[in-house]
Amino acid sequence: MITFDQVSKRFAGRLVLEDVSWHMDEGECVVFLGDTGAGKTTLLRLITHEMRPTSGAVTVGTFRSGRLKRSQRALLRRTLGIIYEDFRLLADRSVFENVALPVRIAGRFADDEVIPRVLFALEEVGMHQKQEAFPAELSAGERQRVAIARAIVHRPAAILADEPTGALEPKSADEVLTLLRRIHDEGAALLLVTTRREVAEALPARVIEIRDGRLAGAATGATAAAGADPAPSTADAAPPAPGA
Amino acid sequence: MHAFYFREASRSFRQHRGLGTTAIFVLTAALALIGGFMMLSYNAQIAVTNLGDRREMIVYLRDEVTPAERQALITRLSELYGAVTYVSKEEAWEALRRQVGDPSLLDGVDENPLPASLRIRLKPALLTPEAMDAASRQVSGFPEVEDVRYGAEWVRRLHHFGNGLRLGTIAVGLIVAIAVGFVVYNTIHLTVLARRHQVEIMSRLGATDGFIAWPFVIEAVFEVGLAALLALAAVFGLQRLLDAQLIRMVFLPPVWALGFFVVAIALAWFAAWLALSRVLRSVGP
Repeated sequence: MITFDQVSKRFAGRLVLEDVSWHMDEGECVVFLGDTGAGKTTLLRLITHEMRPTSGAVTVGTFRSGRLKRSQRALLRRTLGIIYEDFRLLADRSVFENVALPVRIAGRFADDEVIPRVLFALEEVGMHQKQEAFPAELSAGERQRVAIARAIVHRPAAILADEPTGALEPKSADEVLTLLRRIHDEGAALLLVTTRREVAEALPARVIEIRDGRLAGAATGATAAAGADPAPSTADAAPPAPGA
Repeated sequence: MHAFYFREASRSFRQHRGLGTTAIFVLTAALALIGGFMMLSYNAQIAVTNLGDRREMIVYLRDEVTPAERQALITRLSELYGAVTYVSKEEAWEALRRQVGDPSLLDGVDENPLPASLRIRLKPALLTPEAMDAASRQVSGFPEVEDVRYGAEWVRRLHHFGNGLRLGTIAVGLIVAIAVGFVVYNTIHLTVLARRHQVEIMSRLGATDGFIAWPFVIEAVFEVGLAALLALAAVFGLQRLLDAQLIRMVFLPPVWALGFFVVAIALAWFAAWLALSRVLRSVGP
């Protein structure tokens, strides 16, 4: 589903990602854990093709990095659901219209098909009562739940979350993680990047640590929870073998 | 086209009323400028055409030409060059007496020395200096004709003035159109930049350039269309005022007014796409 093959990314002479290789299967849950500036967000931006690797290849489904046309890039992004730390909701639209946006962008659905999809997504995140509200009228936790509804409404192949609990209080953060866990349990692939070890522990995820742009090692959520510190390595972070 | 784009454009205009209204006023002022210039040019062209219509050729006849020969000549000249009016010797003398004012000045003249003449109001195709010169030479060749006059130098000057006016209109019109294009482009660029955050989010969610751009383009076309109508109304008001108070003036003919509106819309379309393509590229891939 998502593959990084010896990917490096350089910004203004500084190496932000170095020779990174990893793979994520459909329906899998992967958490990248690392400090600020470790290269986690760069990794996500490479997946969404907001930037191109300096070397190596990023493959998302059938899309391979390189000179993708703008229309192809748009198509790629429609196969993903993205959740940002700062929510990135449109302030001048209601909750309903914000969540409806990816469905309208997909352009495959008539108006009468959009409404049940949006309401279903809002129900899933528990925000259907506030569909008429505007983002400014919501708490941070509620805004993030709306952002999650927006990410899942078009049933993407994978959901990418960039520090989804970073701007939330502990209670709201727990609710959001529970929600993400449930969405993953329902079959969606989930890729989350975070600086918080407790976030990685809260999900049934393969945890890949990232330090200074290099993959430091892979562990399951349980291993990470036990505080294991795998040996730093740039070796490929492959999914655990079946039954491991 | 998708109804969603029109809803988005309408919502965008309502939610950014201040910005939209400002844009309409700025555009109205710019378009009124070009509309006013068009009206002045049109009226100048009418004035030159009216002057040109007065261009005529005077054919002086020999004294011995009989009425039958004269009538035959009138028929031929009418067919070849335009409407012909006969001025007899007596009519010419009477006209001269009126022009002189004091009849005593002509008392010493025993016999009417003025020849009879034919005044030809030339066909429009013959109103150039070259055509008039050629026609004059041809008419001089008729045996009934004594002489031909048409004010060659005046015709040449009028022709050059008309050409200069046309070229000047095109040149100044182009400069004003480019200036208006810049105003439209920058106004739309500003309205798009004010919503850069929205453009960026839509792009990240997988919207194509077309999906993002269409509502802005529709909004821009609406604003410029409205501004063009207001500008035409302002120019009409100016025409009524000038016509009543200062100088006889007519409003733009319907085809010109329609052309003005269509070109303004096309300009908005082009400027909006140009502004959007720049903003879309600036928000990143």
